[in-house]
Amino acid sequence: MSTRTIQLEVLRYRPEQDKEPVFQTYTVPCEEEWVVLDALNYVKDEIDRTLSFRWSCHMFVCGSCGFKIDGEPKLGCKAFLRDYDDKIRVEPLDNFPIERDLVVVIDDFVEKLQSIKPYIIPKEAKELSAGEYLQTPAQLKSFKQYSMCINCLLCYSACPQYGLTDQEFIGPAALALAHRYNMDSRDVGRSAREDVLASHEGVWECSFVGACSVVCPKDVDPAGAIQQAKFTSAVDYLTSMVGIGGK
Amino acid sequence: MGARRPYKRTMSRTSWFLTHARFKSYMLHEASSIFVALYMWLLIDGLFRLAKGPEAWAAWIAFIKHPLVVVISLIAFAFFIVHTMSWFKAVPQAMRIQTGEHFVDGKLIIGGHYAALGAFSLFVLILAGVA
Repeated sequence: MSTRTIQLEVLRYRPEQDKEPVFQTYTVPCEEEWVVLDALNYVKDEIDRTLSFRWSCHMFVCGSCGFKIDGEPKLGCKAFLRDYDDKIRVEPLDNFPIERDLVVVIDDFVEKLQSIKPYIIPKEAKELSAGEYLQTPAQLKSFKQYSMCINCLLCYSACPQYGLTDQEFIGPAALALAHRYNMDSRDVGRSAREDVLASHEGVWECSFVGACSVVCPKDVDPAGAIQQAKFTSAVDYLTSMVGIGGK
Repeated sequence: MGARRPYKRTMSRTSWFLTHARFKSYMLHEASSIFVALYMWLLIDGLFRLAKGPEAWAAWIAFIKHPLVVVISLIAFAFFIVHTMSWFKAVPQAMRIQTGEHFVDGKLIIGGHYAALGAFSLFVLILAGVA
């Protein structure tokens, strides 16, 4: 049935037996339309049940199956085998500790995500019965791109600043989301997010390598969002210096 | 939970950029700005010499006509062009212009920057009596 056989080199780490991660190669019979995630699932189902990796939707919506595939952060469900050679190397995402095999520890990101208050902070809280907070299509357009993030963490894996600062940098996805809420016409939380956003670990830690936007599977462009937030942060700083204050 | 033993990988602070072609090109781009800085320093030095008097100014003119300085200036000019292009290329990312429900095409913004650069360069050349 299979149309092709590939060698899948997977970085394994079993904390109970491995001192450090080691590669293990699996020979996988594949179908033409398979993605890397299909090959991993084949291994899990047919060859080695001990292999651990995260996945859920198989349609680049859930953001669970981020791996480093042939050196590039990718979603396993979006990496078509036809675009690769017969030998494919799959590793856990860079810049995060490895929990087991391809599963990384993402607690740091979750904390950072919470720190930027990723929710609408309205000027006046309304009763549910008072209806929606209205917004025009143009107001939606101003931030919609930045709301497409699926928290897959490919951008953190690609970002050298996040790795070099030993996870101190708030990072692309969280900063892009902070910018998304700051841009939202229904939100007045800019000053509440400023402590994190304008801190040394915030937008100013970004040196605009731009890798985050290259690897983003949802075209969010976190690098762009961060540069825009730098501008806003600088303006806020200057206006606060002369005492006129921002939003 | 007792069996948890996350494996922490570290990033080399001195050779991290050798791990990916994208990082190598980024570092080369950043490093080339040294030439741009050197040329700025040369220009500022010229201004100080001009303020000092005709003799200092003449010495500076003679200095920048030295073949070695000309070569360095040409290298700096090449990198000026590289940095101008990469800067302009990044502008639509950093500065989005929204009209109604659409964003102005990035190519238009970049084109506008080149047009402004051209117009300003022409102005400087006319001012210098070259064009």
